[in-house]
Amino acid sequence: MTQGSDVRDKPCLEVLDRWLQKVPYALFLGIKAERADNAIIFRLPKNKKFVGNPSLPALHGGVIGAFMEQAAALHLIASMDIPALPKIINFSLDYLRPAQLHDTYASCILSRKGRFISNVTITAWQDHINQPNAIARAHFLTPETN
Amino acid sequence: MPVLSNSQKYNLVKIMNDHIPHAALLGIQVESIEGEELTLRLPYQKQLIGNPETGTLHGGVLTVLLDQTLGMATVCSDASEPSVTPTLDLRVDHLGVAPAGKAIFASARVYKATRKILFVEGVAYCESKEKPIARATGSWVRVADVDLSWLVASDKDATSP
Repeated sequence: MTQGSDVRDKPCLEVLDRWLQKVPYALFLGIKAERADNAIIFRLPKNKKFVGNPSLPALHGGVIGAFMEQAAALHLIASMDIPALPKIINFSLDYLRPAQLHDTYASCILSRKGRFISNVTITAWQDHINQPNAIARAHFLTPETN
Repeated sequence: MPVLSNSQKYNLVKIMNDHIPHAALLGIQVESIEGEELTLRLPYQKQLIGNPETGTLHGGVLTVLLDQTLGMATVCSDASEPSVTPTLDLRVDHLGVAPAGKAIFASARVYKATRKILFVEGVAYCESKEKPIARATGSWVRVADVDLSWLVASDKDATSP
């Protein structure tokens, strides 16, 4: 399974764009959903307002986490027959490298999609996906619509 | 290294907090320091909503607040000298939702300090710490000591929280 490829292809970006416009915090972060090859990746555009450490400068670790959580939720939404907002149960985040004041990308793997609970694995990177800035896992409760 | 007083910790944490652009942008402020426990406050704001139908805050906002609170609680530990401490990992359990229109608080403390690692735990809550919205644990790495002699020396002028 390649990263991000288990989401539907055609109407996917439109659906995701609609959600990105609908969720105020996603708008605040300015997250974009983009197609890369035949997968969907998410982008957090570089912005000085996300700086956590001004002397490096580095992005706030919490913002990277929030971006990854939102990416995971969107990835899950894209896999649903009837898209609905999943509820986060828990989120586990490993910081590997400080994120510089650059664009940050995230791609997700839907590791398990159960009837009620789904597990999403998220990788966030800046220069190259093989040198991730952070990796995370999220569990979500999914609405019983599909 | 003497244990820092509450007012010394308050001054140190306030300087650190105000130095972080993203924390300033969100209006995160130091609420209190009691012993080794630090509490920060995040005011409610519409731009942080995660569910537009209910107005509740985005789960990621709690990650931001908890990362900030647990990270800064590392300098409130009496078991280790304040240090430059990047985050190693963070886990957040979402026990409830952050209700619309209410400020959120987060309290955290170091529960174990080793020579290299600080283990920190904390909660985010709205009305009472006994009813947490989220619970977090994480570890921070001590990479370099910080010279705090100026802070200890200037305690006479310190303003209490």
